[in-house]
Amino acid sequence: MNFTLPSFIIPDALLLLFPFIVIGSRLFCSYRSQIPWRIANIGFIAIFVLLNFIPLANNVGKFFICNWKIDDFGVLMREVLMLSAMLGMWLSKDYFEHGADGKPQMHQIAEFTGAIAFATFGGFTIVSACDMLTFFLGLEIATIPMYALTAWNKKDQLGSEAATKYIMMGSVATAFELFGFSYLYGFSGSIYFNDIRMAVEAGATHPLLWLSILFLFCGIGFKLTLFPFYTWAPDVYEGAPTPVTAVLSVTSKAAAIAFLVVLVFGPLAPVQEQIAPFIALLAGVTLFVGNLGALKQTRLRRFMAYSSIAQAGYIMIALLGPVEMARTAIIYYLFIYAVSNYLAFFIFGIIGHHREETFDSLRGLSQQNPALAIALAISMFSLAGIPPLAGFFGKFHLFFAGATTGHYALVAFAVLNNVIALYYYLQLIKSAWIDEPEDHLSPLRLTKRQRSIIVALSAAVVLLGVLPFLSNNIFGGFTF
Amino acid sequence: MINGITLSYFIFLLPLLVFVINGLFVGNRSAKGAAAIAVIGNGIAAACAILVAVDYFTSGMAPGKVIPYEFTFLPFAGFNANIGLLTDPLSMMMMVVVTFISFMVNIYSIGYMRKDPSAGRFFSLLSLFSFSMLGLVAATNLFQMFIFWELVGVSSYLLIGFWYHKPSAVSASKQAFILTRFADSFFLCGIVLVSYIVGSFDFSVINDLTLHDFYHTTINLGITTISQADALVLGAVLIFIGGWGKSAMFPMHIWLPNAMEGPTPVSSIIHSATMVVAGVYLVARLFPFFAICKGTLDIIMVVGAFTMVFAAVIACTQKDIKRILAYSTLSQLGYMMFALGVCSMGDVVVTTGWTASTFHIFTHAFFKCSLFLIAGSVIHVVHTNDLDKMGGLWSKMPFTYWCCFICVLAISGIPPFSGFFSKDEIILAAFQGHHYVVFGLALLTSGLTTFYMFRMFFLAFHGDARSELVRGHRIKEDFAMTLPIVVLAIPSFLGGYIAKGFFEHYFKPGSLHIPQLVKLEELPWLPYIAVGVALLALFIAWVCYCSPRAKVNKALDETNRSSFYKIVYHKFYFDEIYYAVVRQFVFGGIARTARFIQDYIIEGILAFVVASVHKMGNLVRFAQSGYLPFYLGTLIVGVIFWRIFGQLPL
Repeated sequence: MNFTLPSFIIPDALLLLFPFIVIGSRLFCSYRSQIPWRIANIGFIAIFVLLNFIPLANNVGKFFICNWKIDDFGVLMREVLMLSAMLGMWLSKDYFEHGADGKPQMHQIAEFTGAIAFATFGGFTIVSACDMLTFFLGLEIATIPMYALTAWNKKDQLGSEAATKYIMMGSVATAFELFGFSYLYGFSGSIYFNDIRMAVEAGATHPLLWLSILFLFCGIGFKLTLFPFYTWAPDVYEGAPTPVTAVLSVTSKAAAIAFLVVLVFGPLAPVQEQIAPFIALLAGVTLFVGNLGALKQTRLRRFMAYSSIAQAGYIMIALLGPVEMARTAIIYYLFIYAVSNYLAFFIFGIIGHHREETFDSLRGLSQQNPALAIALAISMFSLAGIPPLAGFFGKFHLFFAGATTGHYALVAFAVLNNVIALYYYLQLIKSAWIDEPEDHLSPLRLTKRQRSIIVALSAAVVLLGVLPFLSNNIFGGFTF
Repeated sequence: MINGITLSYFIFLLPLLVFVINGLFVGNRSAKGAAAIAVIGNGIAAACAILVAVDYFTSGMAPGKVIPYEFTFLPFAGFNANIGLLTDPLSMMMMVVVTFISFMVNIYSIGYMRKDPSAGRFFSLLSLFSFSMLGLVAATNLFQMFIFWELVGVSSYLLIGFWYHKPSAVSASKQAFILTRFADSFFLCGIVLVSYIVGSFDFSVINDLTLHDFYHTTINLGITTISQADALVLGAVLIFIGGWGKSAMFPMHIWLPNAMEGPTPVSSIIHSATMVVAGVYLVARLFPFFAICKGTLDIIMVVGAFTMVFAAVIACTQKDIKRILAYSTLSQLGYMMFALGVCSMGDVVVTTGWTASTFHIFTHAFFKCSLFLIAGSVIHVVHTNDLDKMGGLWSKMPFTYWCCFICVLAISGIPPFSGFFSKDEIILAAFQGHHYVVFGLALLTSGLTTFYMFRMFFLAFHGDARSELVRGHRIKEDFAMTLPIVVLAIPSFLGGYIAKGFFEHYFKPGSLHIPQLVKLEELPWLPYIAVGVALLALFIAWVCYCSPRAKVNKALDETNRSSFYKIVYHKFYFDEIYYAVVRQFVFGGIARTARFIQDYIIEGILAFVVASVHKMGNLVRFAQSGYLPFYLGTLIVGVIFWRIFGQLPL
């Protein structure tokens, strides 16, 4: 057999093997052993580094066994997902060492990282798919581990309740999705994207096509927390363990938006203009509702749930733009969103170690640990999109993509909504900086890992904003 | 590998590094450590600047323009905003001056800030200023220049208000910042206008323009539509207004004397030697562009010449030693500014004014910086700015006294001190440009300059000691403060003589797209006239303030004077006019109307919007009931909802 593995497939292959190795290593060492954790670390970092060696700026994309496509968007998306997986793993480590937020300690870190790796691989599959079957499988691989992760803390009843809600609603959404795919197949007679695209070009007004688009968007609306399919998010974000919430808000959202990008700029590209009003409505309503919901929250993770609903709305705006600009803006924003969001979650994790994860627990943070309070302010200002932090440039590119195709009203509406967003993000900062603590605060202890990650993430948020040319290769590398 | 390019990185990075290290880590722990870091960092930067300059001038590149490196800071559609380093004789000269003076002032500050509890912050901010100023002079394009232009403004604001517990310092810092920002807003409009028409921020492109290409296309400015050539002229004037404010030309001059509330080392580096010449630098940098925009240079000349005379007259009556120097700075900036303006002669230009102006930037930086440092030393000793309380210091502070003498001679334009050469060239340039009125005013001002400088010199150092502090105490010169004064006195003494040929050889404004007058009149008698005027003024000052028969106390008494003297003494009441305008017109008229609209109309609408947003927020929370059947219902309802409202062609 003259078969050699092309080098660009190595990260994918490694990621597929990774969970088996990590979980398998559990068989050979004791319960308390750190070896699986070390292997997981090395594995994730190695995959992330290898991804960076895949050269960008390749117009066509490379194919592995003819229907596994790797292009620029795929590579950068993989990097986002891997970044999220790594940060999620590092965030979770503390929860396996002690209880937090009034919940008991978690167990089985090897399986936990394995599950994250599977979810990440699902994301890889979505961006590599060339046919509906692979595409759908990717979506499911990305979703199913999340159900398990949500209920990871077996002794926590809220977690189980959240997982139940999640899985029930997820099944309905999957049904929508499959229904949409079946109509799309019925309409085009093929499962291959290229064929579908040609069919769409030929029969853009066929009702079967539009029915399938409606269901596909509603199905993915569940994962992307679009209105009114977001209802699971606050409850699940609240019930799941904090690291899982973080992974949900980044990996799951990134996979879902990648799904839409592949769909809208792939098989549905010929009708992008006709879908645009629908996307604009979805985006506008979603970000408005997300912002409204976040206004009056007291618990941090519930707050982040609404914040991430609103962010999903903002990201959707870029889908209206021309293909190249939209993909660039979305990738860039996802990087920044991942970094800012994880920064917030790391801080919440530290706060939640001895206290509850509520706004009240943040009080007096600026006196107790000013550095942490500054990091919190950086993260919140970035999420709110205040210049010169990275979040501002991210949002700018999203809005710019939307405005390029003339959706000025929507962009203006989104900008106005940013004011509401600023209000609630500022409330969090107010808790940390202005409100006096009510009684004696339990001390905050930072491990070396937490400290270095918080410093690195804060620096990333600040530098990406102050020195926009640092991210030039994201803009420069894109030639679709 | 150490070569010119790597060294030039250090010039910028070291001050920035010092700022960061002192600002974040060392500053509030150890003032001594901060001082050491600042002196070492800026010292190495100065050495690097000198090495790079030597490399540039000996390698045969001079006087060409080279851009060793440039990064894209922000890509725009069509053109980029870059950050880079421009090397040409002008920027190399400025870089050497800025780093060298910064080094000297940092040494001086060790002594001056020795007892200040927040010296660490001071050293950190001083380095921030050096970094910003270096970025400004190295700018390859208008965009970079504007960024650093604002940065020097910010560091100036922070340093003027350094003693923020003094209300006068705070209000002076606000005034300086607001006035320069006011001018900068025009500057920004100019940048937008010019770069929009030209399609580039780069100096090389803007300086290479000819207006012919722009006569036939028009541009809509919102109010009217004018041809692009006219818009370019408008842009040139707007850009100059930025320099107008930064260099504190009349009538935006009032912030500079008030800025003397800051610590004296700050006045010395920012408000005399470097930052305030940024406006002159801007005009010099864009000179070919200004030259093609007819009329711009004439505005520059009028503004410069008027400020020169106006400030010199005020300086003759002031009693605050730092304010005298501040008005003298204004007057000298006027010299530099009009020297650029007199290059224009209708349809042709002469470039001698450009050379003279840049030459004067160079010499002025040293002697004026030194004079401020001397004033600081004196103030440090007698604890007041007031000339009333000085006198008789010459025997107590011998080094300072002699250095002051050198610098005063330099600024007065007495040969062979440095100021003589540059000022002589400026006056000559005015004659060569056939601007005889300005020529006469310049000669007159040269006399006034000598008069007020020697007035200050005699009153501070000669005569009887007029305060107990000077009479009684044993006064010792602080080594850290005297060393920079002595070092700076050397270029003040010799700089002009040595550098004259150098400037005449290398300093030309670059290729011009407008005819140049080559054959110029020489005035062999001019130096004699100029020196004669100066000596006459010196003699008058001596008679009034130093001769055995002079009645110093009467001369210092400002109450029993003619009304003209009083008007001048009160600086033509400009502070009061500004105050009245701001109070009556801005606060009383505009602000009150705005306040009314704000209170009753905008607040009302806002309150309504906020209340409804909160109501809707409650609604969203209410929908979040927690019941799974309800949630599942939303999924179904959602599909139906979007089927109806999703605007899909179904």
